[in-house]
Amino acid sequence: MVVAQQQKTGAFQVLVGKIDDVLQYAIGDPMRYLANWGRLYSLWPVHLETACCSVEVGAAAGARFDMERFGTLEAFGSLRACDLIIVMGTVTRKLAPRLKLVYDQMAEPKWVIAMGACSITGGLYFDSYNVLRGIDDIIPVDVYVPGCPPRAEAFLQGLVLLQEKIRKAPSLSGR
Amino acid sequence: MTLESEFSPDSDRIMSVSLGPQHPGAGHFRVRLWLDGDYVVRSEPDAGYVHRGEEKMGEYRNYIQNVPHLERPVILDSSNILFPYATGVDELMNSKVPARGQYLRVIMSEINRIISHMYFIAIQGYFQGHTTMIAWGMGDRDLWIDLAERIAGARVTFAYIIPGGVRNDIPEFAIEKGLKTCDWFDKRMDEYEKIYFENPMVHQRSDHIGVLSREDAIAYGATGTVARASGLKVDVRKDEPYSAYPDLEFETPVMTQGDAWARTYVALLDMREAVKIIRQALKKLPSGPVRLKLGPQPRVPAGEVYSRTEAARGEMSYHIISDGSPRPYRLKIGVPSAKNLRVLPHLLRDVHVADIPVIYWGLNYWPVESDR
Ligand code: SF4
Repeated sequence: MVVAQQQKTGAFQVLVGKIDDVLQYAIGDPMRYLANWGRLYSLWPVHLETACCSVEVGAAAGARFDMERFGTLEAFGSLRACDLIIVMGTVTRKLAPRLKLVYDQMAEPKWVIAMGACSITGGLYFDSYNVLRGIDDIIPVDVYVPGCPPRAEAFLQGLVLLQEKIRKAPSLSGR
Repeated sequence: MTLESEFSPDSDRIMSVSLGPQHPGAGHFRVRLWLDGDYVVRSEPDAGYVHRGEEKMGEYRNYIQNVPHLERPVILDSSNILFPYATGVDELMNSKVPARGQYLRVIMSEINRIISHMYFIAIQGYFQGHTTMIAWGMGDRDLWIDLAERIAGARVTFAYIIPGGVRNDIPEFAIEKGLKTCDWFDKRMDEYEKIYFENPMVHQRSDHIGVLSREDAIAYGATGTVARASGLKVDVRKDEPYSAYPDLEFETPVMTQGDAWARTYVALLDMREAVKIIRQALKKLPSGPVRLKLGPQPRVPAGEVYSRTEAARGEMSYHIISDGSPRPYRLKIGVPSAKNLRVLPHLLRDVHVADIPVIYWGLNYWPVESDR
């Protein structure tokens, strides 16, 4: 009798699982696709310039490279409404707690682009007493854009790579 | 704190807020503000977010290895921060830079002045709600970057001016391109005047705002565009001619209003002079070698030197002490932004909150340069 009941619940679970799968494909997947598609063309970055790489972000926002084509503005008001943080170069000991604070204050989902050799490994300033050797210890990074400074084109490529990543994100939460 | 009672009879009115480091109007920089309603009663700049220890690093790299990291603090003006370093080291080594090298140094330095001023004016336009100026400014700046890239091979960090001359010769086609760019830019600057500097909206938002009198400019030790907008005729190129500047004809533009508008307009006048200098230098360019042969690790005789040049933001200076080894014993950089930062708390007093970005950016302050 117990065995029969177990078989019954087993069959039920399988059925639920099947329905779940079907629902996942029928509703969940388009939902995930839709949500991530919505996110990917409106990446709004926090305006936290950390060092000299910001000049190339400025150039990328200018008329020639025009990063608004990809749905990204250069400067935007409140960080609560932002979902992207571009770490533009060197992070010093004084800035590191602020960077972490800004990251923690942003709403999920959020992504990080580490721009420039400095934010990846410390770059030219690897042996300076006041510079962090990469930002991985503080916040998780999604895309690394190497260069010192990366050209504006390279930065835009990093942005497109991030959009690719968001498009392929496995879950509804965008991660 | 005593601050509050100091500034207002009823201290409840005073609110202290901080602007930056995360703020669209202040990158890598923070200002603490004490507000009474819409008025700023006191401000306190908090710099140092980008202090990277350039001076200490300079002590454990040799004179040639120092070149790339020394140009990073002011990446939009990278040739001008290397210029005094190169002249200083040349003076220590008693080397005579070839004439062509001197001219190329001047050309590159002036191109960089334009690149830096374009960035300044473009962002100033943005802060005043004049979006045409940022679109045009950033777009046109790129054509100068193109020219510099043809000469030196990189977009912003050229490492072009080095001890002993310049790194490489200018290609033939870049001379032609440079002259063409100068002609085009002359016309373009007339358009900026029409659309931006004569715009009544821009006048309304920057006239009589952040006025710095001539006396205050002297007292605070202002330099560059800030000093020149307040009627102080300071220009190292004229006062202490160096490199190829004595052979070239140009003026030092001076204005007297001392407000945010004048500080922006002086940058435009500066660019007009820079175009004049570039055109003359490209036409006069002497032939010959562009640099001296230096080993990879040149030994510099013991001694001490103070060298200064005129960068885009003002006077840039180096104090280098050598003890005869391949590395400097002490390397002190004096940057114009740090000199102009002292003016900020003076200007940010009894102004509207909405005027802060115009005043702050009007000082042409670049935090990375100031922090070193
Ligand atoms: S990577 Fe290079 S350009 Fe970017 S912040 Fe570091 S030193 Fe500056």
